[in-house]
Amino acid sequence: MIDHELKSTLILARSEANPQKILDLIPYSSFIGAQAKIDESGVMYWLERRPSNIGNPSLPAIHGGVIGGFLELSASIELLYFLDVTSIPKVVDFSLDYLRPGRYKTIYASCSLLRQGKRVVNVATTAWQDDVSKPIATARCHFLLP
Amino acid sequence: MVNLKFAIFKPMLKLAMERTGHGAALGFELTKISLGEVEMTFPYRPELAGNPVTGVVHGGVIVSLLDTCCGSAAITMLASNAVTPTMDLRLDYMHPAEPNKPIYVSAKVYRDTSSVIFCRGSAWQDDPENPIAHCVATFMKVETPSISLRNTVRRNFRRFVLGKKVDGQAGGK
Repeated sequence: MIDHELKSTLILARSEANPQKILDLIPYSSFIGAQAKIDESGVMYWLERRPSNIGNPSLPAIHGGVIGGFLELSASIELLYFLDVTSIPKVVDFSLDYLRPGRYKTIYASCSLLRQGKRVVNVATTAWQDDVSKPIATARCHFLLP
Repeated sequence: MVNLKFAIFKPMLKLAMERTGHGAALGFELTKISLGEVEMTFPYRPELAGNPVTGVVHGGVIVSLLDTCCGSAAITMLASNAVTPTMDLRLDYMHPAEPNKPIYVSAKVYRDTSSVIFCRGSAWQDDPENPIAHCVATFMKVETPSISLRNTVRRNFRRFVLGKKVDGQAGGK
């Protein structure tokens, strides 16, 4: 893919209110199976269960790394969708707290852009399964604007 | 006796990490396992890119690699049938990984207490002194014989050793 294709897809995704178009650009997102759509509170991200995302096969539970990867991916899509950037932002750091085991079912996530400076953006994300009030993980992520 | 137990434990840990679920899907290899220290190698794969223009691997892959490596190092500290769920993981990305090059990961336990294990890890390509990412992670010690590594391997031994496809795992809805 070349740079201007990325730019035009970003613009199209924003004008059509279709964040899934941005996800489709990123190979890693189809590897784990992440999806996104607009809902009343912003963008909702979700990850349907699949065998290749299992960590401990005895529970079975979703791999902690997949939860982390999914939250980092969601945070970067949030930034690409809501801010007027034209290239993939660089991640500076990522901090992840695991609150409950990720059961072998769909994981949902939502993000909030907490601060946007000239060069750095802070995004917080929360993941849950059955109940929004019982998150399975929360994460904070700093991005450097291109 | 302790050494003999550890000698049996090492291939079990290697099989469990490399042959199940997301570990098998990513395709890394545990190259060193010693008490409180684990090293891994991960080949570059274009389908794991996070940037479609440059082909740089997604940060989520680095999260998975470091979580697995630190988690494995934590498991080596366990004396009984327990598991080590991750409590938190914090990563600093120093510079982007270069595409088409393997990534090396190492993790070390630096403090082992009665209920929490503290671990640090790093990922690099050419020079361990110039890592692409560094992390610290903490793990709980939870006594649950039913899902401990030893019993998980025992139950799934055939699948692990024969290396059955990951698609064959876990039941339907």
